[in-house]
Amino acid sequence: MSETMTATGSTRIWDLPLRLFHWLLVALIAFSWWSGEEHYMEWHRLSGYAILALLVFRLWWGFTGSRTARFTQFVRGPGAVFTYAKTLFSSSRHTADGHNPLGGWSVIAMLLAIAAMVIAGLFAVDVDGWESGPLAYWVSFEQGRSAAEFHETVFNVIMALIILHVAAIVFYLAVKRMNLLRPMITGRRTKTAEEAVEDARWSPAMALIGIVIAGAVAWFVSTGFRF
Amino acid sequence: MTRTRTLALAAAGVIGLAAVAGTGTLASAAPSASTVIATRQANYKKMGAAMKTLKDELQGSADKGKMVAAARTLAATVRVQSKLFPDGSGPSSGVKTDALPAIWTNRAAFNADMQKAMTEADKLVAVAGSGDKSAIIAQFKATGATCGGCHRQFRADD
Repeated sequence: MSETMTATGSTRIWDLPLRLFHWLLVALIAFSWWSGEEHYMEWHRLSGYAILALLVFRLWWGFTGSRTARFTQFVRGPGAVFTYAKTLFSSSRHTADGHNPLGGWSVIAMLLAIAAMVIAGLFAVDVDGWESGPLAYWVSFEQGRSAAEFHETVFNVIMALIILHVAAIVFYLAVKRMNLLRPMITGRRTKTAEEAVEDARWSPAMALIGIVIAGAVAWFVSTGFRF
Repeated sequence: MTRTRTLALAAAGVIGLAAVAGTGTLASAAPSASTVIATRQANYKKMGAAMKTLKDELQGSADKGKMVAAARTLAATVRVQSKLFPDGSGPSSGVKTDALPAIWTNRAAFNADMQKAMTEADKLVAVAGSGDKSAIIAQFKATGATCGGCHRQFRADD
Protein backbone atom coordinates (compact mmCIF):
# COMPACT_ATOMS: atom_id res chain seq x y z
CA MET A 1 0.00 0.00 0.00
CA SER A 2 2.62 2.55 1.01
CA GLU A 3 4.57 4.21 -1.79
CA THR A 4 7.28 5.87 0.28
CA MET A 5 9.13 4.80 3.37
CA THR A 6 7.40 7.29 5.58
CA ALA A 7 3.87 6.68 4.37
CA THR A 8 1.78 5.54 7.24
CA GLY A 9 -1.78 6.10 6.20
CA SER A 10 -4.07 7.64 3.66
CA THR A 11 -6.30 10.63 3.28
CA ARG A 12 -9.37 11.19 1.11
CA ILE A 13 -8.77 13.76 -1.63
CA TRP A 14 -11.67 13.08 -4.04
CA ASP A 15 -15.22 12.69 -2.75
CA LEU A 16 -17.48 9.87 -3.92
CA PRO A 17 -19.94 11.95 -6.04
CA LEU A 18 -17.01 13.53 -7.87
CA ARG A 19 -15.52 10.13 -8.68
CA LEU A 20 -18.89 8.80 -9.79
CA PHE A 21 -19.27 11.88 -12.00
CA HIS A 22 -15.86 11.24 -13.53
CA TRP A 23 -16.29 7.55 -14.32
CA LEU A 24 -19.88 7.85 -15.49
CA LEU A 25 -18.74 10.60 -17.85
CA VAL A 26 -16.01 8.33 -19.21
CA ALA A 27 -18.52 5.53 -19.80
CA LEU A 28 -21.16 7.81 -21.32
CA ILE A 29 -18.75 9.57 -23.68
CA ALA A 30 -17.64 6.16 -24.92
CA PHE A 31 -21.25 5.03 -25.27
CA SER A 32 -22.26 8.26 -27.04
CA TRP A 33 -19.45 7.84 -29.51
CA TRP A 34 -20.39 4.23 -30.24
CA SER A 35 -24.15 4.81 -30.49
CA GLY A 36 -23.58 7.85 -32.71
CA GLU A 37 -21.29 5.94 -35.06
CA GLU A 38 -23.75 3.06 -35.27
CA HIS A 39 -26.76 5.37 -35.71
CA TYR A 40 -28.57 4.09 -32.62
CA MET A 41 -30.04 7.55 -32.26
CA GLU A 42 -32.54 6.74 -29.54
CA TRP A 43 -29.67 5.49 -27.37
CA HIS A 44 -27.48 8.37 -28.50
CA ARG A 45 -30.04 10.94 -27.34
CA LEU A 46 -30.54 9.21 -23.97
CA SER A 47 -26.79 9.12 -23.45
CA GLY A 48 -26.63 12.85 -24.23
CA TYR A 49 -29.36 13.62 -21.68
CA ALA A 50 -27.43 11.63 -19.08
CA ILE A 51 -24.27 13.64 -19.89
CA LEU A 52 -26.31 16.85 -19.59
CA ALA A 53 -27.42 15.71 -16.12
CA LEU A 54 -23.79 15.00 -15.19
CA LEU A 55 -22.72 18.48 -16.33
CA VAL A 56 -25.48 20.17 -14.33
CA PHE A 57 -24.50 18.11 -11.30
CA ARG A 58 -20.82 19.01 -11.73
CA LEU A 59 -21.70 22.70 -11.91
CA TRP A 60 -23.70 22.39 -8.67
CA TRP A 61 -20.94 20.33 -7.06
CA GLY A 62 -18.40 23.00 -8.00
CA PHE A 63 -20.07 25.21 -5.42
CA THR A 64 -21.36 22.67 -2.90
CA GLY A 65 -18.98 19.69 -3.04
CA SER A 66 -15.91 18.92 -0.95
CA ARG A 67 -13.03 21.41 -1.10
CA THR A 68 -11.20 19.71 -4.00
CA ALA A 69 -14.40 19.74 -6.08
CA ARG A 70 -14.96 23.49 -5.77
CA PHE A 71 -14.19 25.91 -8.58
CA THR A 72 -12.83 28.44 -6.07
CA GLN A 73 -10.17 25.89 -5.09
CA PHE A 74 -8.92 24.97 -8.55
CA VAL A 75 -9.69 27.82 -10.96
CA ARG A 76 -6.59 29.98 -10.58
CA GLY A 77 -5.24 33.13 -12.19
CA PRO A 78 -2.49 33.27 -14.82
CA GLY A 79 0.17 34.01 -12.17
CA ALA A 80 -0.48 30.78 -10.29
CA VAL A 81 -0.68 28.82 -13.55
CA PHE A 82 2.65 30.23 -14.75
CA THR A 83 4.38 29.58 -11.44
CA TYR A 84 3.12 26.02 -11.43
CA ALA A 85 4.02 25.44 -15.08
CA LYS A 86 7.66 26.30 -14.32
CA THR A 87 7.85 23.41 -11.82
CA LEU A 88 6.21 20.97 -14.23
CA PHE A 89 9.36 19.11 -15.23
CA SER A 90 10.86 19.01 -11.76
CA SER A 91 10.17 16.12 -9.43
CA SER A 92 8.49 18.43 -6.92
CA ARG A 93 4.89 17.67 -6.09
CA HIS A 94 2.17 20.23 -5.83
CA THR A 95 1.49 21.14 -2.25
CA ALA A 96 -2.30 21.23 -2.28
CA ASP A 97 -4.58 18.30 -3.04
CA GLY A 98 -7.04 18.51 -5.91
CA HIS A 99 -6.52 19.91 -9.38
CA ASN A 100 -3.25 21.81 -9.77
CA PRO A 101 -3.40 25.33 -11.31
CA LEU A 102 -2.73 23.97 -14.80
CA GLY A 103 -4.97 20.93 -14.48
CA GLY A 104 -7.79 23.13 -13.22
CA TRP A 105 -7.96 24.86 -16.60
CA SER A 106 -7.86 21.53 -18.35
CA VAL A 107 -10.95 20.59 -16.33
CA ILE A 108 -12.67 23.84 -17.36
CA ALA A 109 -11.74 23.25 -21.01
CA MET A 110 -13.11 19.70 -20.82
CA LEU A 111 -16.38 20.82 -19.20
CA LEU A 112 -16.85 23.63 -21.74
CA ALA A 113 -16.15 21.34 -24.69
CA ILE A 114 -18.59 18.72 -23.42
CA ALA A 115 -21.20 21.42 -22.75
CA ALA A 116 -20.76 22.72 -26.31
CA MET A 117 -21.14 19.14 -27.55
CA VAL A 118 -24.39 18.59 -25.65
CA ILE A 119 -25.89 21.95 -26.63
CA ALA A 120 -25.05 21.42 -30.32
CA GLY A 121 -26.58 17.95 -30.11
CA LEU A 122 -29.84 19.35 -28.73
CA PHE A 123 -30.28 21.39 -31.94
CA ALA A 124 -28.75 18.94 -34.40
CA VAL A 125 -30.68 17.55 -37.37
CA ASP A 126 -29.49 14.63 -39.50
CA VAL A 127 -29.07 14.89 -43.25
CA ASP A 128 -32.52 13.34 -43.85
CA GLY A 129 -34.41 15.60 -41.45
CA TRP A 130 -35.42 12.33 -39.80
CA GLU A 131 -33.41 12.29 -36.56
CA SER A 132 -32.96 15.38 -34.43
CA GLY A 133 -32.24 16.74 -30.99
CA PRO A 134 -35.18 17.75 -28.78
CA LEU A 135 -34.72 21.49 -29.41
CA ALA A 136 -34.23 21.23 -33.17
CA TYR A 137 -37.79 22.42 -33.72
CA TRP A 138 -36.61 25.88 -32.65
CA VAL A 139 -34.29 26.11 -35.67
CA SER A 140 -34.45 25.62 -39.44
CA PHE A 141 -33.22 22.52 -41.25
CA GLU A 142 -30.06 24.39 -42.37
CA GLN A 143 -29.33 25.65 -38.85
CA GLY A 144 -29.90 22.14 -37.50
CA ARG A 145 -27.43 20.78 -40.07
CA SER A 146 -24.87 23.38 -38.97
CA ALA A 147 -25.42 22.31 -35.36
CA ALA A 148 -24.81 18.68 -36.39
CA GLU A 149 -21.59 19.63 -38.19
CA PHE A 150 -20.43 21.63 -35.17
CA HIS A 151 -21.33 18.61 -33.01
CA GLU A 152 -18.93 16.49 -35.09
CA THR A 153 -16.19 19.12 -34.94
CA VAL A 154 -16.40 19.45 -31.16
CA PHE A 155 -16.03 15.68 -30.90
CA ASN A 156 -12.49 16.07 -32.25
CA VAL A 157 -11.78 18.75 -29.66
CA ILE A 158 -13.00 16.43 -26.89
CA MET A 159 -10.84 13.61 -28.29
CA ALA A 160 -7.81 15.92 -28.21
CA LEU A 161 -8.55 16.92 -24.61
CA ILE A 162 -8.97 13.29 -23.57
CA ILE A 163 -5.63 12.38 -25.18
CA LEU A 164 -3.99 15.32 -23.39
CA HIS A 165 -5.62 14.24 -20.11
CA VAL A 166 -4.37 10.66 -20.38
CA ALA A 167 -0.93 11.84 -21.52
CA ALA A 168 -0.72 14.10 -18.46
CA ILE A 169 -1.52 11.16 -16.18
CA VAL A 170 1.23 9.08 -17.80
CA PHE A 171 3.60 12.08 -17.51
CA TYR A 172 2.92 12.46 -13.79
CA LEU A 173 3.54 8.77 -13.26
CA ALA A 174 6.75 8.65 -15.30
CA VAL A 175 8.32 12.00 -14.46
CA LYS A 176 6.89 12.96 -11.10
CA ARG A 177 6.31 9.42 -9.82
CA MET A 178 2.76 10.33 -8.88
CA ASN A 179 -0.11 7.92 -9.41
CA LEU A 180 -3.13 10.10 -10.22
CA LEU A 181 -5.27 7.21 -11.37
CA ARG A 182 -5.62 5.35 -8.10
CA PRO A 183 -6.97 8.29 -6.08
CA MET A 184 -9.60 8.88 -8.78
CA ILE A 185 -10.76 5.29 -8.16
CA THR A 186 -10.32 4.93 -4.39
CA GLY A 187 -10.60 8.62 -3.54
CA ARG A 188 -7.49 8.35 -1.34
CA ARG A 189 -3.78 9.03 -1.47
CA THR A 190 -1.11 7.87 0.95
CA LYS A 191 0.07 10.31 3.56
CA THR A 192 2.97 10.53 5.95
CA ALA A 193 2.61 10.47 9.72
CA GLU A 194 3.69 14.10 10.13
CA GLU A 195 1.22 15.36 7.57
CA ALA A 196 -1.71 17.23 9.07
CA VAL A 197 -4.32 16.99 6.35
CA GLU A 198 -8.06 16.63 6.62
CA ASP A 199 -10.13 14.23 4.58
CA ALA A 200 -12.18 15.85 1.82
CA ARG A 201 -15.63 16.13 3.34
CA TRP A 202 -18.94 16.24 1.48
CA SER A 203 -22.62 16.48 2.30
CA PRO A 204 -24.91 13.67 1.11
CA ALA A 205 -27.85 16.09 1.38
CA MET A 206 -26.17 18.52 -1.01
CA ALA A 207 -25.37 15.64 -3.36
CA LEU A 208 -29.00 14.53 -3.29
CA ILE A 209 -30.27 18.04 -4.07
CA GLY A 210 -27.77 18.23 -6.94
CA ILE A 211 -28.93 14.90 -8.34
CA VAL A 212 -32.58 16.02 -8.24
CA ILE A 213 -31.77 19.33 -9.98
CA ALA A 214 -29.61 17.60 -12.60
CA GLY A 215 -32.28 14.98 -13.33
CA ALA A 216 -35.02 17.59 -13.58
CA VAL A 217 -33.05 19.82 -15.98
CA ALA A 218 -32.13 16.89 -18.22
CA TRP A 219 -35.72 15.66 -18.27
CA PHE A 220 -37.20 19.06 -19.14
CA VAL A 221 -34.67 19.54 -21.93
CA SER A 222 -35.28 16.01 -23.28
CA THR A 223 -38.96 16.84 -23.78
CA GLY A 224 -37.99 19.97 -25.71
CA PHE A 225 -39.78 21.90 -22.94
CA ARG A 226 -43.04 20.45 -24.30
CA PHE A 227 -44.60 18.55 -21.44
CA MET B 1 -12.80 56.81 -55.87
CA THR B 2 -16.50 56.01 -55.87
CA ARG B 3 -16.58 56.15 -59.63
CA THR B 4 -13.71 53.71 -59.99
CA ARG B 5 -15.39 51.36 -57.60
CA THR B 6 -18.70 51.53 -59.48
CA LEU B 7 -16.90 50.80 -62.72
CA ALA B 8 -15.08 47.88 -61.16
CA LEU B 9 -18.34 46.50 -59.80
CA ALA B 10 -20.01 46.90 -63.19
CA ALA B 11 -17.13 45.10 -64.87
CA ALA B 12 -17.32 42.29 -62.33
CA GLY B 13 -21.07 42.06 -62.92
CA VAL B 14 -20.63 41.75 -66.68
CA ILE B 15 -18.01 39.04 -66.28
CA GLY B 16 -20.24 37.26 -63.78
CA LEU B 17 -23.23 37.36 -66.13
CA ALA B 18 -21.11 36.08 -68.98
CA ALA B 19 -19.94 33.22 -66.78
CA VAL B 20 -23.50 32.33 -65.78
CA ALA B 21 -24.65 32.49 -69.40
CA GLY B 22 -21.72 30.30 -70.41
CA THR B 23 -22.55 27.64 -67.83
CA GLY B 24 -26.20 27.79 -68.81
CA THR B 25 -25.40 27.09 -72.44
CA LEU B 26 -23.14 24.21 -71.50
CA ALA B 27 -25.72 22.79 -69.14
CA SER B 28 -28.49 22.83 -71.73
CA ALA B 29 -26.22 21.19 -74.29
CA ALA B 30 -25.32 18.26 -72.02
CA PRO B 31 -25.80 18.46 -68.26
CA SER B 32 -22.42 17.91 -66.68
CA ALA B 33 -21.99 15.47 -63.80
CA SER B 34 -21.31 18.35 -61.44
CA THR B 35 -24.56 20.11 -62.40
CA VAL B 36 -26.62 16.97 -61.92
CA ILE B 37 -24.94 16.22 -58.61
CA ALA B 38 -25.44 19.78 -57.36
CA THR B 39 -29.10 19.68 -58.38
CA ARG B 40 -29.88 16.39 -56.70
CA GLN B 41 -28.02 17.43 -53.55
CA ALA B 42 -30.05 20.65 -53.38
CA ASN B 43 -33.20 18.56 -53.88
CA TYR B 44 -32.27 16.18 -51.09
CA LYS B 45 -31.78 19.17 -48.79
CA LYS B 46 -35.24 20.36 -49.76
CA MET B 47 -36.59 16.91 -48.89
CA GLY B 48 -34.71 16.87 -45.59
CA ALA B 49 -36.22 20.24 -44.71
CA ALA B 50 -39.69 18.93 -45.62
CA MET B 51 -39.16 15.87 -43.41
CA LYS B 52 -38.13 18.13 -40.55
CA THR B 53 -41.23 20.29 -41.03
CA LEU B 54 -43.45 17.20 -40.89
CA LYS B 55 -41.69 15.90 -37.80
CA ASP B 56 -41.85 19.28 -36.04
CA GLU B 57 -45.54 19.65 -36.87
CA LEU B 58 -46.37 16.11 -35.76
CA GLN B 59 -44.66 16.75 -32.43
CA GLY B 60 -46.13 20.21 -32.14
CA SER B 61 -49.12 22.10 -33.44
CA ALA B 62 -49.83 19.73 -36.41
CA ASP B 63 -50.60 22.59 -38.80
CA LYS B 64 -52.50 21.04 -41.73
CA GLY B 65 -51.35 23.56 -44.33
CA LYS B 66 -47.68 23.16 -43.46
CA MET B 67 -47.91 19.36 -43.42
CA VAL B 68 -49.67 19.17 -46.78
CA ALA B 69 -47.16 21.56 -48.35
CA ALA B 70 -44.21 19.57 -46.95
CA ALA B 71 -45.68 16.27 -48.13
CA ARG B 72 -46.22 17.72 -51.62
CA THR B 73 -42.62 18.95 -51.71
CA LEU B 74 -41.47 15.44 -50.82
CA ALA B 75 -43.63 13.69 -53.40
CA ALA B 76 -42.76 16.15 -56.20
CA THR B 77 -39.04 16.23 -55.43
CA VAL B 78 -38.56 12.47 -55.15
CA ARG B 79 -40.06 12.18 -58.67
CA VAL B 80 -37.45 14.58 -60.00
CA GLN B 81 -34.69 12.80 -58.08
CA SER B 82 -35.34 9.47 -59.79
CA LYS B 83 -34.24 11.09 -63.07
CA LEU B 84 -31.13 12.70 -61.63
CA PHE B 85 -28.85 9.68 -61.50
CA PRO B 86 -27.62 9.40 -65.11
CA ASP B 87 -24.66 7.20 -65.97
CA GLY B 88 -21.37 8.87 -65.05
CA SER B 89 -22.79 10.93 -62.20
CA GLY B 90 -21.38 8.70 -59.49
CA PRO B 91 -18.05 8.91 -57.62
CA SER B 92 -16.24 8.02 -60.87
CA SER B 93 -17.12 11.52 -62.14
CA GLY B 94 -14.54 12.93 -59.74
CA VAL B 95 -17.15 15.22 -58.21
CA LYS B 96 -17.68 14.84 -54.47
CA THR B 97 -20.82 12.76 -53.96
CA ASP B 98 -22.15 10.30 -51.41
CA ALA B 99 -23.93 8.37 -54.17
CA LEU B 100 -22.44 4.87 -54.16
CA PRO B 101 -21.46 2.98 -57.33
CA ALA B 102 -24.07 0.37 -56.31
CA ILE B 103 -26.73 2.71 -57.78
CA TRP B 104 -25.40 1.99 -61.27
CA THR B 105 -24.35 -1.62 -60.73
CA ASN B 106 -27.64 -2.53 -59.09
CA ARG B 107 -29.91 -0.19 -60.99
CA ALA B 108 -33.07 -2.31 -60.77
CA ALA B 109 -32.98 -2.36 -56.96
CA PHE B 110 -32.30 1.39 -56.89
CA ASN B 111 -35.21 2.13 -59.21
CA ALA B 112 -37.47 -0.10 -57.13
CA ASP B 113 -36.48 1.86 -53.99
CA MET B 114 -37.19 5.14 -55.76
CA GLN B 115 -40.58 3.82 -56.83
CA LYS B 116 -41.38 2.79 -53.23
CA ALA B 117 -40.45 6.27 -52.03
CA MET B 118 -42.77 7.86 -54.60
CA THR B 119 -45.65 5.56 -53.65
CA GLU B 120 -45.29 6.22 -49.92
CA ALA B 121 -44.81 9.98 -50.43
CA ASP B 122 -48.01 10.09 -52.52
CA LYS B 123 -49.88 8.32 -49.73
CA LEU B 124 -48.46 10.89 -47.31
CA VAL B 125 -49.82 13.72 -49.46
CA ALA B 126 -53.22 12.03 -49.39
CA VAL B 127 -53.30 11.70 -45.62
CA ALA B 128 -51.43 14.87 -44.55
CA GLY B 129 -54.49 17.10 -44.54
CA SER B 130 -56.85 14.53 -43.03
CA GLY B 131 -56.46 15.66 -39.45
CA ASP B 132 -56.03 12.01 -38.44
CA LYS B 133 -52.78 12.43 -36.55
CA SER B 134 -52.06 8.76 -35.91
CA ALA B 135 -52.59 7.97 -39.60
CA ILE B 136 -50.25 10.79 -40.60
CA ILE B 137 -47.61 9.61 -38.14
CA ALA B 138 -47.86 6.06 -39.48
CA GLN B 139 -47.50 7.25 -43.07
CA PHE B 140 -44.69 9.64 -42.13
CA LYS B 141 -42.82 6.68 -40.67
CA ALA B 142 -43.53 4.52 -43.72
CA THR B 143 -42.20 7.27 -45.98
CA GLY B 144 -39.12 7.84 -43.83
CA ALA B 145 -38.43 4.11 -43.87
CA THR B 146 -38.19 4.15 -47.67
CA CYS B 147 -35.61 6.97 -47.43
CA GLY B 148 -33.56 5.06 -44.85
CA GLY B 149 -33.85 1.76 -46.69
CA CYS B 150 -32.43 3.24 -49.88
CA HIS B 151 -29.74 5.26 -48.11
CA ARG B 152 -28.35 2.25 -46.27
CA GLN B 153 -27.64 0.51 -49.55
CA PHE B 154 -26.90 3.35 -51.93
CA ARG B 155 -25.46 6.26 -49.97
CA ALA B 156 -22.04 6.58 -48.36
CA ASP B 157 -22.17 6.89 -44.59
CA ASP B 158 -20.08 9.91 -43.66
